[in-house]
Order: sequence, then structure tokens, then C-alpha cells
Amino acid sequence: MMEVEEGNFDEAYDVYACMQCGKCTGSCAVSLRSDLNIRELMRIAILNKNEDLEKHEEIWDCTSCGICTVRCPRDLKPAEVIIGMRSSLVEGGTIPVTVRDALESVGTNNNPWGRPKSKRAEWLEDLDVKVKNISEGEEAEYLLYIGCTASYDPRIQSVSRAAINVLTKLGVDFGILGEEEPCCGSEPRMMGETGLFEMLVEDNLTLFDEFGISKIITLSPHAYNTFVNDYPECAKRLKEDDVEIPDIELEVKHYTQFLEELIDDGRLDGEMMNEFSGTVIYHDPCYLGKRNNIFEPPRKILNIIPGARCIEFDRREDRSLCCEGGGGRMWAEGTGTGERNAIIRVNDANQDGANVIAVACPFCLSTLEDAHVTAGYEETMRVMDIFEILDEVLK
Amino acid sequence: MDVIVCVKKVPDTAEADVSVDAGGREINKERLTFAINEWDNYAVEEAIRLKEEDEGTVTVVTVGGKDKEDILRRSLAMGADKAIRVDMEDPEDSFVLANVLCTLIKDQKFDLVFFGAQSGDFNSGVTGAMVARMLGISHAAMVNGVEVLDGSIKASRELEGGLNEIYEIKLPALFTIQTGINEPRYVSISGIRKARKKPLDVMTPEDVGVTEVKPMLSLEKMYLPPPGKIAEIIGGSPEEAAAKLASLLKEKGAF
Amino acid sequence: MTVYILAEHRRGELMDVTFESISAARRLNDEVVAILLGTDLADHAEKVAKYADKVLVVEDERIENNTEAYTQVIGEIIKKDKPKVFLMGNTSMGMDIAPALAIDLDSPIATDVVGISEEGGRIKVNRSVYNGKVLSDLVLREAETSVIAIRSGEFSAADLEEKNGEITKVDSPLKETIENKKFLEFVEPVAGAVDITQADVLISVGRGIKDKDNLPMAEELADAVGGVVSCSRPVVDYDWLPKDRQVGTSGKTVKPKFYLAFGISGAFQHVAGMKGATMIVAINKDIKAPIFSVAQYGIVDDLLKVMPALTEKIKELKS
Ligand SMILES: Cc1cc2nc3c(=O)[nH]c(=O)nc-3n(C[C@H](O)[C@H](O)[C@H](O)COP(=O)(O)OP(=O)(O)OC[C@H]3O[C@@H](n4cnc5c(N)ncnc54)[C@H](O)[C@@H]3O)c2cc1C
Ligand code: SF4
Ligand code: SF4
Repeated sequence: MMEVEEGNFDEAYDVYACMQCGKCTGSCAVSLRSDLNIRELMRIAILNKNEDLEKHEEIWDCTSCGICTVRCPRDLKPAEVIIGMRSSLVEGGTIPVTVRDALESVGTNNNPWGRPKSKRAEWLEDLDVKVKNISEGEEAEYLLYIGCTASYDPRIQSVSRAAINVLTKLGVDFGILGEEEPCCGSEPRMMGETGLFEMLVEDNLTLFDEFGISKIITLSPHAYNTFVNDYPECAKRLKEDDVEIPDIELEVKHYTQFLEELIDDGRLDGEMMNEFSGTVIYHDPCYLGKRNNIFEPPRKILNIIPGARCIEFDRREDRSLCCEGGGGRMWAEGTGTGERNAIIRVNDANQDGANVIAVACPFCLSTLEDAHVTAGYEETMRVMDIFEILDEVLK
Repeated sequence: MDVIVCVKKVPDTAEADVSVDAGGREINKERLTFAINEWDNYAVEEAIRLKEEDEGTVTVVTVGGKDKEDILRRSLAMGADKAIRVDMEDPEDSFVLANVLCTLIKDQKFDLVFFGAQSGDFNSGVTGAMVARMLGISHAAMVNGVEVLDGSIKASRELEGGLNEIYEIKLPALFTIQTGINEPRYVSISGIRKARKKPLDVMTPEDVGVTEVKPMLSLEKMYLPPPGKIAEIIGGSPEEAAAKLASLLKEKGAF
Repeated sequence: MTVYILAEHRRGELMDVTFESISAARRLNDEVVAILLGTDLADHAEKVAKYADKVLVVEDERIENNTEAYTQVIGEIIKKDKPKVFLMGNTSMGMDIAPALAIDLDSPIATDVVGISEEGGRIKVNRSVYNGKVLSDLVLREAETSVIAIRSGEFSAADLEEKNGEITKVDSPLKETIENKKFLEFVEPVAGAVDITQADVLISVGRGIKDKDNLPMAEELADAVGGVVSCSRPVVDYDWLPKDRQVGTSGKTVKPKFYLAFGISGAFQHVAGMKGATMIVAINKDIKAPIFSVAQYGIVDDLLKVMPALTEKIKELKS
């Protein structure tokens, strides 16, 4: 049965306006390699309210890339309809085990990786520079929000350390929350755990308020997106339900936006860098590009790096091929068979002559790093976060 | 079928760094997270499935302070009908705990009592079978399959090496449930919110009628094993290393 | 002081834990008496008598494969002979019997014991708690008889002294046939249906296995130890094994007693799915592979050489 918290599914998502044109499916990131057919799911949402969603395993294939929502000529939100369907599965309790474990871990450990909260700041140990910890009372202009994956996955932790090095060298007044940093809730929301997301919004806004945090720089486009787009809306809804939420205005930037500003202010330029050697191809993450139209800042940064020859994918910007890392897919393989998008992507990069794939998202780094080994490019190609490239070249 | 499930809240120490406090009698718990004992979660799920298949009630029980109530609320959200918390410090001694639970359970209406096969903190695995004995009912430990017959249960017990042992056990009975018997459902936050209306009784030891008994074990000290973080490398030619590993595996009971 | 132990056997086979129990009992005393219950016990009795001071044999088919009958019969024997300690394995059988016996005898009990000693007439045990991260010393309360269940594999039976003890037949003290708890049958794990989450031993292969043609080698090893083959994600990606064999954050979480990782580097997503294993062994040619930091034992070598050699050695040890 399809139900949402309040009211009916069809009303909540205005599904009746759907004209079944199929533009969503046509653009879908995974429809070529999985059973997911978003147009069909829209039809089910309109007609079959008693549909047994548990049968539709492919609901967990969606990467929440958002392109279907961008393309829909009726301005509907098919990507949100999927979240709604997941929500009703979550309420029923029957969800893929890996998704269940990830969500339970957010509840107990404040991260979906099943790792203890007390180890969230372990990545700091190998670091030479001293970082302010806002949760310990130190004051800073910006909170650098690390996020769960960059806190725990050893490969991605290197991005967190690079970020600290780079921001410190650039003289930015920033701090972190260390062990006290919470899950932003983006992935739980995409996996349909609406209640948990609301709880995180309430807790996190209270926490930010308590530590006087108003300016945030995020490593992850997913955290950026949720702080900017989901938090205000959710906070409003909670307030209407008489939940006490501090009235704070957050100024949130993805780090590429922040660095772009430094470039514009003349605080970051090629002079400050050593020569980089390599042909760099930039992979647009869905949560910066498709969902938030942020295309320029990362390119601007890469372009000032001396020696970096920047090239482009044919499928780029809002047509960029989704790496399949979002929407809870870190914890759900999906029904897909055949080549992963990430493999297609690294093959494309190779064909285009790149030997560095630059990314700006922890999930993209995870999927593309894995794919470049699987596809046999371990020796000839590197997958690097832009922060890692900067850490390498900054004098 | 009316089922009582006894549950416990335990710290998650699988990955966290664990240290022993200055007194040497307890671990430092401030930085640990706590949740329902893994085995108990399977037991709750199994009880709810029995209820959903047939009919009856599920009552979850814990012994401990108010901070333990969240695992009861969670079990209620999963589908249990009623919860009872005995408001006293969770006795660390299994015998003392078994005595409390037995006293409580004997006055309740039930066909089955479930426990987790063990708890993730002390791994003793004795409380369930002790309670069964005190109640004078049949029991089976390490149960990984339950089938309801008329007046009895066909229960599968997990033995070493994947073999199962099947018993027919007359009701009332008590089982300690092994992980893997089912796939516990997810409990959503909104589900927990909605279950707030379900009854959760708090009883004092006096309400229950608990008598004092002597603990079985007294703890002398707790301490950390000598560190040995990195793997011990087995050297030699492939054949030699394989031979050493084979003996090691045999010694540890792998085959 | 006398220690009674249970000789555990099933389907005609005497369990190793019997001798480990004798080994543990020897740390306490001078006399070890083994209890052997069921049917067809002559061979077992001889094997046990070799290392025990005495073997009490109760032949009664009502006891065979019935843990409740076991509990009652052991209880009767203990009540009569009043040994200081009754000791058995903390096996599935032990978990069914030992706590019930403790209540019947009004005895203290310690289970999953890894060390045992006597101090001033009281029994002291060592147990590992909190996922093996902490050790604890506990003293059992004063009692006529204490019940101990030892962890398998902890008390080596390699150097047991030969005793060639006497074998004594005892009349079955079982009063009546057990009606409330009837043993029906043993059920083998379903052949073909592989569930890596339920296996005690996993032979896990990673990209280092190189080729689909090398997989039978892993199957052979798994057959030899009575385990199951699992894998890392690339092995599934290459279609060498089905998805349900994948261990990790997007596969399955496993907690076997033994996890042997062959040619697996130990990526974050993989380790998350297997770190709960009791014993992890890594076989990898690269000493720097992160898998070695979660493993307790490692072999740094070519898995294609180690794996067949291991299979052979295990087969040898088994025969
Ligand atoms: C979203 C996402 C989810 C993922 N989920 C999972 C998951 O659930 N499970 C999972 O396993 N992975 C998962 N991964 C993939 C993971 O990141 C790693 O890529 C993968 O685990 C690596 O597998 P591997 O160790 O077999 O291969 P590699 O990392 O390539 O390691 C192969 C190892 O074999 C060794 N080796 C090679 N030849 C030999 C030889 N002859 N003898 C001995 N050793 C040899 C090498 O030294 C190396 O250490 C996921 C990745 C992503 C992006
Ligand atoms: S959000 Fe992306 S993956 Fe999901 S249905 Fe839409 S297009 Fe497909
Ligand atoms: S693109 Fe929009 S209107 Fe067209 S089928 Fe998809 S949801 Fe319906």
C-alpha cells in the first residue's frame, strides 16, 4: 500500500499531472542497465494504489540523480515519487538488508557505515596541521563539514586531510566538529527514512545553533544539497507541527564554490602552485550539476592549475553520466546487470586520453576509483578529488 | 500463541576501542553506543512473526533503568503489544537476573518464552535455559527454526558445522533464539513515534515480588588482552605455511 | 578433587571437545572421570578411557540424542558422586544442558571459559567478554559442584597423558522416557543452497584469484574444511560467482568462526562485511594490503600455490 505521512500519495506528489510521456525514463541514469522504469512507477502511483511495492525491487536502483525531475515537461518530481515509495517500504519494515543496516547505523552511530561514533575523527590522526574543533569551544568563521563517507572510508579520508591542508595554506578561518559531527541525513532521506531525516534536521540545526555555526563549507555535494534545499523546507514543515527549531540562516557552500570565490578575490591562483602534469577530465557529480546547476566553479579551479591539461567528457554538465553512487546505492547493489556506469565512465575517460579523473564528491571518488581498477587502469590513470590535486600542487 | 520475549540493551563493542576503568571491574562506557542485543532482536522478530501468522500477543520484558526503555519502544514499534520494565539495576549475574525474570514471568500468561541465545556483552548464554528450569518448563537453546504444531513446537537447534537437530517440544516452552532464524524488519523513526501509545508497564522489584538470591560468580577483575593488532605472519614455503595453517585451523576447531 | 566431564558424541563420532575437556580438567586436579551416555558406546569408551582415569558408561537408548535426558542423567550421577566440578564443551549441546544442570544441582556455572584454575578451594575462570576485547577473571561461589563449559579450541588436547582408565557400566538412572522434548532427526544443511551468512568457515576469494578457472580450487578447499566459498565484489562483477556470495556493505554481512581471505585487498566496503569473524586469515602476496590489519594470521605468498597445498594438508589431517 502506498501511503505517505499525511494525505495520499497521489495528492502529495501530484502524480495525476503525469502524461506518461516517458521523458523521465528516457533520461534515467540506470534504466539502461536495470529494471527501473520510472514512467512505469509513475503509472503505478496514479492507478494502482494497492500495488505491492515489495515486489518492485528496482525501486532501490534509483541513484536519486534527479535528471528525471529536471526533464519532466510537467514539472513533476518523479525522483521524489521514488523516495515516497521507499518511505512506504521503510514504514512497512521490509527493505534490503544492507539498506536496513545502514539506516539502523545512522540511528545508533550517527553514520550509515556501521562504524562507531567514537572513531569519526580518526582520519585526523595522520595530520600535521592543527585544526580547530568547534565542538570543543574553539571559534571559527566556517564549519568544514566532512560528512560520513569522508570520515570513515580510508580512501576518502585522504580528501578530508587534503581539505584541511589546502584550507590551512589558504589562510581560511575554519573548524570542524570532530567526533560530534552528525550525519547530514541526505542519504537516509533518499532511502526513504523521512522520520529519521526530520529528527536529524531538528538535532543538527540545534547543534549548529548551539555552536554558533552559520557558515558551512561541505566536501560532499550531497550534504550541500540537503543543507541548502531540504533543510529549510523540512524545518518549515516541522515548525508548522510546533516542533521547536532554532531560527538560523545557514550560508552553505560546496567547497568548489568557496574556492572559486577565493580565486575571484585573488586569494588563490596558479602562482601559488607547482606544476601538475597530466590530462585532467572533470566528472560532474549529479548533486552539484543536475540538481544545483553548479558547473563552473570546479572547472575554474582546475583551469588555473599550471600544467594541467583540462579536457571534457562528451557527456558532461547536465548530461553527465551518473556514477551510481547516490540514492543509497552505496548500500544497495540494485537489480542492474551488465556494465556499471562507473566502468563506462572510466573507459570514456581513457578513450578521451585522460590520465586523471577529477571529482568533487566522495561517492564519485568511491565508485570511479573502484571502476578504474576493475577496468585495468590502475597503472595508467588516477582518480582524484579536486582537493587532493590542490594538496599536491599548492606550495 | 502468547509469547514473552526477554531483551537486553548492550554496548556495541565490535569496533569501538574498549578500555577498562580504573577500578578494573567495568569497561568505560561513555563513548560507546548502546542498542538492543542482536540475538534478542531476532527473538522479537520471530515472536512477532508467530503472532502475524496465527494470533496471540507479544510481550517484551527488560530489567534495567529508564534508559533501557528505548529498546522496548523499538520492539513495540516492530509489532509487540506490550512491554514491561522491571525498574532496578540490571544485575550482571545471570543467576540473579534469571531469578528476577522467572519471578516476573511465572505470573504472566504465556505459551512461549524467547530469549536471545546469548548477549553481546558477556556471551554467557545461560539466562534463558536457567529461567526455563526455574519455571519448570521445557527449553531448547540455539534455536534457528520454529514451526507451530498442535500443542507443541517443532524446533530446530543449530549444531556445529551447519547441522541442525530437530526436536518436538511440548508447550509451554522456552527457546533461546539464534541469529539467522529470520531477517528482522527495519523499525522506522515514525514507527517508533506511533508506538508511543502502546502500553509500557514499569514494575518495581517489590511489585514483581523479587527475592534476593546469591550471585553465582564474583568478578575479580577485568583487563585488556596483550596488544597484538597486526596479523601474525605464518612464514615458510607455500607448503610449509599451508601445513602450519592447516594445523592451526584444526586446533581451533575449523574441521 | 574430582572433575567429571561429558564425553560428547554425535552420529557415531566422538567430538574433539571431549579431549579438550579432559585437558581443561587436568588443570584442576588428579582425577578425571568421563561420562558417556547413549547407545553404541564401546568404541568411544575405549578412546576416552585412554586419557581419563575412569569412564562411566550409561547405555540407554532413551538418552541418545536427547539433551533433556542427558541433563537428568548427568544430574543424577553428579548428585550421587558429588564431584567438585562438572565440565563440558560450550557447544550447542553444552548451551542446552549446562545452565539447566546448574539449576538442577543448585550449582554456580561459568560458560565459554578459556582459562581455569583453583584458588583456595574455589574455582576461578577466565572468560573473554565484549567481543573478545576484554578478559575477565571470575570466581565461582562456594558449592558442592560447580558447572563449567569450556570454549572449543582453547584447551589443547595435543599432549594428554595416557591413563588407560577403567570403564564402568552404570545402570541408567533415567526415571522415565522424556515426553516433553522429543528428538526427531538431524537435518543436513540443504545441499546446493548456499547461505554464506550461516557458514562457520568461509573461503573468500578476491580479484587475486585471477581467473574463473581457478575457482574450483577454492571450492575444493571449502569442501575439505566443510566451508563455503564467498567473495569480494569484483569476483561478482566478473561473473565468476553469483551475487549472493558477495561479502561487504553492498553484499552480505558475515560472522563466521573462520574467514580465510585469498587475494582480497581489504577495501573498506569489504572489511565492513566481515570484520565480525572470530578468526580472520589473509593470504595475499602484498604485505602492505590493508587486509593484514584486520587479520589475526597472514600468509604473504601466491594464493595459487598456498590454496592447493592447504587443501592437501587439511585432507591429510582429516584422515
Ligand atoms: C558503492 C560501492 C560498494 C561496494 N561494495 C562492496 C562490497 O559489498 N564488497 C566488496 O568486496 N567490495 C565492494 N566494493 C568494492 C571495493 O571498493 C573494492 O574495490 C573491492 O572490495 C576490492 O576487491 P578485491 O580485494 O578482491 O580486489 P583488489 O583490491 O584488486 O585486491 C586484490 C588483492 O589480491 C592480491 N593478489 C593478487 N594476486 C595474488 C596472488 N596470486 N596471490 C595472493 N594475492 C594476490 C593483491 O595483492 C590485492 O591485495 C564496493 C565499491 C563501491 C564503490
Ligand atoms: S533520479 Fe535518476 S536514477 Fe532515479 S529515476 Fe530519476 S533519473 Fe532514474
Ligand atoms: S517525464 Fe514527467 S510527465 Fe513524463 S512520464 Fe515522466 S513524470 Fe510523467
